[in-house]
Amino acid sequence: MNTSSSFKVFASPPLIFSSRPPKNASQNPRFSFKLPRFCPKTIRCMRDSLNLRSSPNAPSALSFATVEAPLGTETSDKLRILVSEFRSLTEPIDRVKRLLNYAADLAPLDDTARVSANRVTGCTTQVWLEIKMDEFGRMRFKADSDSEISKGFCSCLIWILDGAKPEEVMGVRSEDLSEMNVGVHGKEQSRVNTWQNVLMSMQKRTMTLVDADVAHRGGERPPHHHKHDLLFKYVNGSYMESSKVHHDYSISLLPLYYDFTI
Amino acid sequence: MEGVAMKLPSFKSLAPNAISIGHRSFSRVRRSSSLSVFSAASSSATVATNSESVSLGHRVRKDFRILHQEVNGSKLVYLDSAATSQKPSVVLEALQNYYEFYNSNVHRGIHYLSAKATDEFELARKKVARFINASDSKEIVFTRNATEAINLVAYSWGLLNLKPGDEVILTVAEHHSCIVPWQLVSEKTGAVLKYVMLNEDEVPDVDKLREMLSPKTKLVAVHHVSNVLASCLPIEEIVVCAHNVGAKVLVDACQSVPHMVVDVQKLNADFLVASSHKMCGPTGIGFLYGRSDLLQSMPPFLGGGEMISDVFLDHSTYAEPPSRFEAGTPAIGEAIALGAAIDYLSEIGMPKIHEYEVELGKYLYEKLSSLPDVRIYGPRPSESVHRGALCSFNVEGLHPTDLATFLDQQHGVAIRSGHHCAQPLHRYLGVNASARASLYFYNTKEDVDSFVVALADTVSFFNSFK
Repeated sequence: MNTSSSFKVFASPPLIFSSRPPKNASQNPRFSFKLPRFCPKTIRCMRDSLNLRSSPNAPSALSFATVEAPLGTETSDKLRILVSEFRSLTEPIDRVKRLLNYAADLAPLDDTARVSANRVTGCTTQVWLEIKMDEFGRMRFKADSDSEISKGFCSCLIWILDGAKPEEVMGVRSEDLSEMNVGVHGKEQSRVNTWQNVLMSMQKRTMTLVDADVAHRGGERPPHHHKHDLLFKYVNGSYMESSKVHHDYSISLLPLYYDFTI
Repeated sequence: MEGVAMKLPSFKSLAPNAISIGHRSFSRVRRSSSLSVFSAASSSATVATNSESVSLGHRVRKDFRILHQEVNGSKLVYLDSAATSQKPSVVLEALQNYYEFYNSNVHRGIHYLSAKATDEFELARKKVARFINASDSKEIVFTRNATEAINLVAYSWGLLNLKPGDEVILTVAEHHSCIVPWQLVSEKTGAVLKYVMLNEDEVPDVDKLREMLSPKTKLVAVHHVSNVLASCLPIEEIVVCAHNVGAKVLVDACQSVPHMVVDVQKLNADFLVASSHKMCGPTGIGFLYGRSDLLQSMPPFLGGGEMISDVFLDHSTYAEPPSRFEAGTPAIGEAIALGAAIDYLSEIGMPKIHEYEVELGKYLYEKLSSLPDVRIYGPRPSESVHRGALCSFNVEGLHPTDLATFLDQQHGVAIRSGHHCAQPLHRYLGVNASARASLYFYNTKEDVDSFVVALADTVSFFNSFK
């Protein structure tokens, strides 16, 4: 894993998928983001981030936990606040308590929303996620779970992302959330699954809604749309050839344009 | 005592000053007269009700260094042995020994190291055969684990013998490894899967199973001891009924072989599977017991070296069982370490281990059910019903994952939460997940006490947020 080249964090906000036809497509390096070249790295990073214990890059991965989402946006501020709040809670039990407090703040979810289409797959607990795009093109989220700790996680994620623009939703990385983990870093893998799966679900469904919105408004599909398709065929870090038959072997999908800097 | 190169635990090591310091229960024992501890060391394996006799759990703890540690600031209380057991130092030494002194590929070379490795590997096979009273060590096929062993039967025996309309009987309480392979194979062959549900005691209904049997039944694949319900099925009876209709029986003995005497002659099962890592052995090795004539008739599962006789460009001929089903270089060190684990268990004695666990399991059940709002799954223990030493349970209004997280974070108690690879069973019971505390012979009464106290604390913690 080449850490030095991927060390350079976002100097500018990453150009995430935008609903406007990108006029600066040619200028923005992201569009010439040679997907095949980067993807193995991103996938490997993703896998590595899940195996922090065993990865020799683990120390640097942990230090990257402090890197924030797109600069200068409300989302990144909220993320920063929440991260520092949890970081200040040194006792694991205090984090659990804080999460449980946040769980209580979670807005209730209608029974009608507790359907399998809204289930977040990959969690041991049941998590339902309802997502809409409002009239301003911002993402609105509601969630619920049968586990109080998972509810707490959802509550935090929603606090950060409810009302955010799609690109802000896409800009949050799972490493950013590792500070909120309940437990020591060594246990990241198990707890992170809930965070990660919920976040991934938020991001994947955001993309779907944005696509639908574009199609609905008769907009042109952005030129890199096929790349986004490809990414959604990445299943747990392995690239699947696009095929006519859709086999959903996935429990978590990679979001678009993540720069996994490990 | 069977087995080769094994360090006998000498009486010296049972002396008080050799018992690990810092363990609360040991310090209690140490305060009593050292003579009584010494003389009681070889006495029965009963759960210590007084400080005079040492229970089996206390006696063996020194062999398991991993248990003597703190997690999250509390002493580790390991109650997840049904997921995987801890290994005594003799097993780790056997593994180290193999790699350090005679690591070599087996069945291939004629040089000294290879011969020694082969001897030890085959000796391990003999130990497994003896452990379950198989008639011949050739009836033991080493696999990666029980899951692979079941897949072996499914793909090798199943694909050959199952025809459209044939029936395979399973229970709703099976582990996924004894459901999914049959699903895959029934898709390919057109066989039909039938499931036995639970009766009012929350045990698979053996009467219903008997009713389900018909000449169409080709296989009955059932667990011996359930990893969720802790129930024990009457395998001998089931085998008799199944054989009457001409069906074969596969026994998933993952939760029974480590905990009690399992005699395949007595059970008269056709196939039996178990994993090493649940019986104090390393991961990466397990075995399939198959009756000689059955294995003889089965085609290969995986192809490669070792399982062949002659290889030509357009075809190959295959080796005799068990080699026919052991393609490639096996997990040699692991098999030898499994042999060492079997020696260790045999030295204590499986009847003794079982007796200890029945008592400790009963104690766990009683203490757990004394807590309010706790629902334990499976049959109630009684004179006639011996539960396995585990309890899957749910606490009203508290998700098992939250429970397990708190127990771990705040109390260092390791239990499992989730569906325990038994989703159909959980669906049947009407829950999404459960928590499970499982014991092994190195657990003690104090472990159970710590767990119950921690659980009560957990429940009151979460209640305070309501």
